[in-house]
Amino acid sequence: MPGAAGEQSVSIRLIVNERRHQLDVGAGETLLSMLRERLSLLGPKEACCEGECGACTVLMDGAPVASCILAAGSTNGRTVLTVEGLAGTGELTALQQAFVSHAAVQCGYCTPGVLMVLTALLEDTPDPSEADVRRALAGTICRCTGYQQIVEAALDAAQLMIRAATS
Amino acid sequence: MSLLGSNPARSDADAKLRGEAVFGADLARPGMLWASISRSPVAAGRIRSIDSGPALKVDGVLDVLTAADVPDGRTGVIVNDIPFLAADYVAYEGEPVAIVVADNRSAADAGAQAVDIDIEPTEPVSTPEQALAPGVRLVHPDWNRFAVTGGADIGRDGNVVAEVVHDPGDLDEAFAAADVVVEGTYRTPRQYQAHLEPKMALATYESGRYVIEVSHQYPFRLRDRVAQMLGVAPSAVRVVGHHIGGGFGAKLDVSLEAFAALLARRYRRPVRMQHAALEERLVAPCRANALVSIRSAVSGDGTILATDVEIVSDSGAYANNGPALSAIPMFVFGSIYRVGTARIRTRNVYTNTAPTGAYRGVNGPWLVFANERHMDAIADALGRDRREFRLASLARDGDLMRNGQPLEEISILREAFDRVDELAPWRDIVSRNQRQRDAAAPSSPPAESDADVLRGAGQAAAIWLTNPMPGHATVKLNEDGTATVITSATENGSGAVATGLRQIAAETLGLAADAVTITMPDTDATGYDAGSQGSRTTHVVGRAIADASAEVRSQVLDRASQMLEAAPEDLTIDDGVVAVAGVPAANLTLGAVAQAATWSDGPITAGASYVTPTPPHDPVCATGMLIKGWPTPTYHLHQAEVSVDVVTGRVTVDRYVVCQEVGRAIHPDAIAGQIQGGVAQGLGFALSERVDLDHGRYVQRTFKAHGLPLAEDVPKVEMIVMEHADPAGPYGAKGAAEPPIVPVAAAVANAVSDAIGVPFDTLPITPEAVLEALEAEPNGEAVARAAREPVLNRDGEQERETTGRAS
Repeated sequence: MPGAAGEQSVSIRLIVNERRHQLDVGAGETLLSMLRERLSLLGPKEACCEGECGACTVLMDGAPVASCILAAGSTNGRTVLTVEGLAGTGELTALQQAFVSHAAVQCGYCTPGVLMVLTALLEDTPDPSEADVRRALAGTICRCTGYQQIVEAALDAAQLMIRAATS
Repeated sequence: MSLLGSNPARSDADAKLRGEAVFGADLARPGMLWASISRSPVAAGRIRSIDSGPALKVDGVLDVLTAADVPDGRTGVIVNDIPFLAADYVAYEGEPVAIVVADNRSAADAGAQAVDIDIEPTEPVSTPEQALAPGVRLVHPDWNRFAVTGGADIGRDGNVVAEVVHDPGDLDEAFAAADVVVEGTYRTPRQYQAHLEPKMALATYESGRYVIEVSHQYPFRLRDRVAQMLGVAPSAVRVVGHHIGGGFGAKLDVSLEAFAALLARRYRRPVRMQHAALEERLVAPCRANALVSIRSAVSGDGTILATDVEIVSDSGAYANNGPALSAIPMFVFGSIYRVGTARIRTRNVYTNTAPTGAYRGVNGPWLVFANERHMDAIADALGRDRREFRLASLARDGDLMRNGQPLEEISILREAFDRVDELAPWRDIVSRNQRQRDAAAPSSPPAESDADVLRGAGQAAAIWLTNPMPGHATVKLNEDGTATVITSATENGSGAVATGLRQIAAETLGLAADAVTITMPDTDATGYDAGSQGSRTTHVVGRAIADASAEVRSQVLDRASQMLEAAPEDLTIDDGVVAVAGVPAANLTLGAVAQAATWSDGPITAGASYVTPTPPHDPVCATGMLIKGWPTPTYHLHQAEVSVDVVTGRVTVDRYVVCQEVGRAIHPDAIAGQIQGGVAQGLGFALSERVDLDHGRYVQRTFKAHGLPLAEDVPKVEMIVMEHADPAGPYGAKGAAEPPIVPVAAAVANAVSDAIGVPFDTLPITPEAVLEALEAEPNGEAVARAAREPVLNRDGEQERETTGRAS
């Protein structure tokens, strides 16, 4: 939490969703609260705050991290991508579009984290197996969907992206 | 082309995928205060003193409120037993004792930790069995001074919150005549909803009224409960709903809202509250733990002559909706299979544990678990095939449920047995599993490579209700030819509002689905709505929307018939265009019609209400019944195939088939999502989820410890969706979202019991429970031992490492 009086602060520079920021963050401040409270990026969600559910997941230098347990101060010099940065103000990404067409969104609270995990997966493994997708989701709890439509959306998006890249 | 049965995009998908959707937990207001709760650290005890001093020393803390500062008296949904804040004694770990208000969140949290609560602990009443023991301490010594809603007689007595008794009185004769008496005791734990978004509240006080902004499944109940707690009229409270990050029943009652409202008035500032993760788990209204004992008198030909059912469910420290849910056994036993004369007694009891409440399917998963485990036990006692025995025992159209309600379409369930068998033939599965078991038996030489894996299959059937409670919708045709539906129906993730209701309006009005918008809930702006519960939204609110839309359509046709000089019955409306049938050139857009109407007769708008009538029933069938009938039933058959690894104890679900009747499938992909998601939660309840109590206190305190199913644990569910249109439903639709969880634990437990020949009558069936059962059972131990022998393949190498173990 920011703002606790007397807490030591540290100055950091980082890039969030392609924008540069210089911030003074508290020693106990998490990346999640920095994103939500200082940068008004409410896409990463506050849920378990224990790094177990994945709703707060963002990409740091391309890798998924649980922003609820990561110190904001440790992101100095890093590049962070949140769900807001996926499509920006433009069209939904292939993965996001596949979530629409596969009805993979229900309550939507896990969605921002799930999208980041799968975005990283498709970056590293452009043609994943179903087992790859399920394994990638191991740190993410979705209580609504039973995961099937999420898995199918990811596999479909991978094929769409491969076709787009080779056409 | 009809929109019904198509899969348009949800209205909220784009915002949710961009991270733009604002959930309750995202809300903030300039100048808002934060408040946090100091909670009882013990399950039971007398409050000696509360010292606010240490909290008031925390920078930013404004005040600490205790029972002396808040309204006295007790409130509740059915029994008024819950104090605003605990005053003299605490009745469960996590019970609110003090509220700390501060000018920021961390100060409020630190203050709440700092309040010094001095409690003299007493030995808690930890279990329902303990609560019923003679001479036990009463959880609430003054229980008989608590008022009951409407003064209903719900059979309260000491630690018994409610008792429902159905006793036709002539069981002894049947038991004396029985060839076989089969007895079973079925024990199930609590289940935690585990919605990801924590409970929260944002309250303001303006012009003498309280405004509550929240993510809540049932804004009108919240309005009434906040008013009840504050001692004000319901009209003094306005509830505004935002996106809900999961609820599954946990967001149907009040939690933090009245505290925030009280403080908002006191400080004339917006007040924000939110559960921390641990609080969420300590006070979640879990599905009740329960104990079901069934004794059946059966004749040699397999006729069940009589059934005696004794049920105890745990209400926790307060009554919540347990008294109403205690009627549900009346709609399970004798509603699926013919069980002869049945005596059913259900007691809901107080313990010193967190109050239980509504979780998807409420009592259904454990009642169906007991019912279906018992059916397998009877079939086994008679030496009958389990599916064949189910079919022979299946109720028939015209049979009466125990409340006297006729089963009008139970033959749909017989159709479900046929449909599942076409997809996954029972006989083939059973004989395959038997061959494999024979091969693994200690007397046989190990022949198959997966000898340490035993396979089993199980079935479970259910009929489930569609919640009948009232709803209202106003439909207005906008001046550009689009339509807006004004309702407080809540979108709890299922898509019922985000797509189903829009499709119903659009279909009736002749619009594209995306030409219909639906408002967010606001108790000031809409008619009453009973919230997202019991799959009611598509059926009840959908019916109100279909009726209101039909009235709007009729107004459109009246106006257009004047403009086009054609009779209304000669007009069609398609994709926003009104045309004269057979004269395509003679047409108008709905926008043109709306404009013309607005400036002549006035805007085109219509409202409609709906509540499902209570089915015919016998009003004196039982004492203490608050739910009288089982309206708009749907029919369900689940079939599970499992592998049990006798070395690790791990159960893997290899194949899962659901046959579900939905009336009419409005959005098939959304229904598929509900079935898959419901089965996933049911698999958690069956196999992995833990909510254990130790002396009244929860043992599991993190998501990980709860054992929630992950993506690698849940198989793809195969689905058969049956449609038998309900004449009262919108285009025939019934409810679909709640019931897929109901039969799952039963089907899986039957399959595991089948696999290893040991009855699993207690949930969850964890690897530890499997290994324990195998070791306790002589045959099971033999099986396990045989399986542990190394299996050599043709090359003499140990095969175990390569044993297929699907996951």
